Amino acid sequence: MPKLYRLHRAALYAAVFGMTLALVSKASAEEIIIGAATAQTGGLAPYDQPALAGLRMALDELNAKGGLGGQYIAKLIIKDTRSDTAQTATVAQELIDAGAKIMITPCDADPSISAGQLTQPLGIPTLTLCGSAPVLTAAVGDVMFGTYPADNVQATAVANFAIAEGKKKVYLLTSPDSTYTANLPEYFGKVFEKKGGAVVGRGTFTMGQPDFSAEITNIKSLADQPDLIMTAAYEPDFPAFIQQLRGAGVTVPVYGADAIGTPTVKGLGKLVDGVVYTAAGYAEPGSKLEAFNTAFAKYAGHAPESTYEVNGYEIGLILDQAVKTAGSDDPKAIRDAIAGLKDFDGITGKITYAGTDRMPLRPVALMRYEGGEGKHIQTMIPDAADVPAP
Amino acid sequence: MIAQQIINAVSLGGVYALLALGLAIVFSIVGLINFAHGELMTLSGYALLAALVFGLPFPAAVLVAVSCGALAAVAMERVAFRPMRGASVTSLLLTSFAVSSLLKVVFQNGISARPQPVAMPGWMTGAFSFGDFTIGVGPSISIVVSALALIALELFLRRTVTGTAMRAAAEDFNVVRLMGIPASRIIATAFLLSGLLAGLAAMLWVAQRASVDPLMGFTPVLKAFIAAVVGGLGSLPGAVAGGFLLGIIEVLLQATLPAAVAPYRDAIVLSGVIAVLLVRPQGLIPAVRVQRS
Repeated sequence: MPKLYRLHRAALYAAVFGMTLALVSKASAEEIIIGAATAQTGGLAPYDQPALAGLRMALDELNAKGGLGGQYIAKLIIKDTRSDTAQTATVAQELIDAGAKIMITPCDADPSISAGQLTQPLGIPTLTLCGSAPVLTAAVGDVMFGTYPADNVQATAVANFAIAEGKKKVYLLTSPDSTYTANLPEYFGKVFEKKGGAVVGRGTFTMGQPDFSAEITNIKSLADQPDLIMTAAYEPDFPAFIQQLRGAGVTVPVYGADAIGTPTVKGLGKLVDGVVYTAAGYAEPGSKLEAFNTAFAKYAGHAPESTYEVNGYEIGLILDQAVKTAGSDDPKAIRDAIAGLKDFDGITGKITYAGTDRMPLRPVALMRYEGGEGKHIQTMIPDAADVPAP
Repeated sequence: MIAQQIINAVSLGGVYALLALGLAIVFSIVGLINFAHGELMTLSGYALLAALVFGLPFPAAVLVAVSCGALAAVAMERVAFRPMRGASVTSLLLTSFAVSSLLKVVFQNGISARPQPVAMPGWMTGAFSFGDFTIGVGPSISIVVSALALIALELFLRRTVTGTAMRAAAEDFNVVRLMGIPASRIIATAFLLSGLLAGLAAMLWVAQRASVDPLMGFTPVLKAFIAAVVGGLGSLPGAVAGGFLLGIIEVLLQATLPAAVAPYRDAIVLSGVIAVLLVRPQGLIPAVRVQRS
């Protein structure tokens, strides 16, 4: 290319760039950028996408009313993490560079921590869509917030229920491959033992493992047969495990937590009869959650798949309240406002961050599959004294 | 309990053998390790789901699904691999990776990122007892189907002209062509067989896992690759031996390792593979011609 043209082109670039910059800075005067580093593909996508849909709906509604805190139009920039921890850090950096003042991270601890390591030094408040490992917030620092009921809280709720049912002996099935699958059953074990139950066996699996037969044979050959099996395995491992367990003639009930409250597991029909799981709430007739479900169906064209949608929606409400309290779009002020929330009226119940290590105190709904439907058992906030330390 | 674990091992080994055989057939003829083999399984799984949704009775749905796998394999050869014929092993390998990634994205965006439940008929989760131990219907079917498929393949390769030509092609393709056998027919048949095996393996896989997801082909193709390498790349008896060996080692380790060491199971299995290859670098039962093209 002749030098003259190169100069021309450089001048043209400079002009266009300058104009864009001017436009952006003008627009962002009343805008607040929310960066969403979430999985659109890969293993976390079935969890991140429903939650993100809920958040989007909340932001659309809030924007129609003048934006977050009635002041700042929320601009959501979404980037795909491909369910990969390293990729999550990459896109989180891109979002920070794009000016994100609030960061939303995937439904799992490991990628959330990788994004949090970038936002922590900058003081950008970071909320995981439905990551529930209680170690998550301490691993990052004061900018990191959980939003879903924490694993130890969920496990306590399930353990309380199992004890109340008269269950005495449990077998714990864990996988060291993720914080969720490794720790949740162990929290259950701790509460269960404290309340008079016994752990009669432990087994592990690798996520994506094709075959559970050896593990199942070990369960069958236990001298002390368990009353229930507790696991945090989720799809596609959970369907595989229960298919092979029942196929081997074992009828012991299986209990899990929030990650099996999905259409996939529900779609297994009779196979999952009696399986107990948790949710962020239950839509009783006349409840706010029921109204949300109707509104969401109108917004998205399909009914919510789980309670991840409403959880995402509540993140929007929390952000709105935090910006209102902060009275500015300063990330540090927003962070402080979220950390100070007390008895905030969400859709599923009261949400409190004040006094916690940024994993919220909020109700847990216990559910059970029966005849291909999720039936509500009860909703509770476990006693803080019962909840094991992370 | 030991008898039970042996059944578990044979059942898993059978599925691995079918998968490894599917890879080995294609490799023995065209020198391609088809990493999109797993996506043929995924495709068969979705075909099964679709057939069930459309109300076909279960046996018919299985038939449709397996045929879909076979046809997809032939189509894959026609579209992606035929233009690459004669290319280097590396180019073929990369092409297969490309096909695999492409199909995964198509499944994720076209169907759903979420695993789809496949409700197996009730009798599949049944079990029957012999005195002390119970055998699940699922594992029994796995063992019987794998055995039948292996016998049928053996008969096809020994007793038919195309089968004989394929065995000959695995040893020296050029001589086979000089004998007047069209190369395209041999290659298409190799893909058809590998697709059939993928379809069958997919049915056994889905029967044990009760769901189909876009990424489900990854683990099986990896296991099949390991089995094929251990057995001797390109050798059909080797693939079967490698598949069974891998299945047996995995189940035995899972059954016997103490909880503290259990997470290292895959690492131990792969160390075992390295050990086997150190002693027998060409695999357990080496192919007559190890490296083609």
